[in-house]
Amino acid sequence: MSDLKLRVKEMIIERLKLEGMTPDQIDDDAPLFGEGLGLDSIDALELVLGIEQVFGVKIEDEAAGLKAFRSVQSLTDFIAEPTKA
Amino acid sequence: MLPELTGIPAHLPHRYPFLLVDRVIEREPGVRAVAEKLVTNGEPYLQGHFEGRPLVPGVLLLEMLAQAGGFLEAESLHGAAIFLAGVQDARFKAPALPGDRLRLEVQAEGAFAGLMKIRGTVSCEGRELCTASLLVKRL
Repeated sequence: MSDLKLRVKEMIIERLKLEGMTPDQIDDDAPLFGEGLGLDSIDALELVLGIEQVFGVKIEDEAAGLKAFRSVQSLTDFIAEPTKA
Repeated sequence: MLPELTGIPAHLPHRYPFLLVDRVIEREPGVRAVAEKLVTNGEPYLQGHFEGRPLVPGVLLLEMLAQAGGFLEAESLHGAAIFLAGVQDARFKAPALPGDRLRLEVQAEGAFAGLMKIRGTVSCEGRELCTASLLVKRL
């Protein structure tokens, strides 16, 4: 697992208080919302704030969020290159 | 800036006995707002909370912060649907009593997809009574 991807997973677990969960239990490609991790809109706001605080990357609007939050993989790609995603 | 006295009912949809903001003393939409609530013995909820020992229910301190948070919105919320979506890390450190002039300070932490996170503090004469994070959803 890349270092950045691991940090992204750790941030998700910490920020959303997914107690008892470990980074390797989060599938890289599983959707974060709905199925997969089953996050909701409140979790989305927490993630937006966490990404800004931990990685200094801003998610400007819902469209950018929808793309970035598809999976841990897409979120990691977004954080690595916010302009490209 | 002059205290905003008359604009409150035009901005918030809340009415007596549930309008819990008396005046707005600082307001920077999207960033920060400071409001005040003066607690009197006439508050209806103090009759039974508690008999002979009136103190403001903690949940109403949270409601005061939520209403103060309404002033983080630039436009009037009159008639708009705005809901409390979450309360996190609420701490009640000291009671609010009749005669207290409560300072309601709210700061926007961020927003996404119609949901806003607010950090709020209720204090009286420099003492913190309550701190909490609130999530409000505007539909």
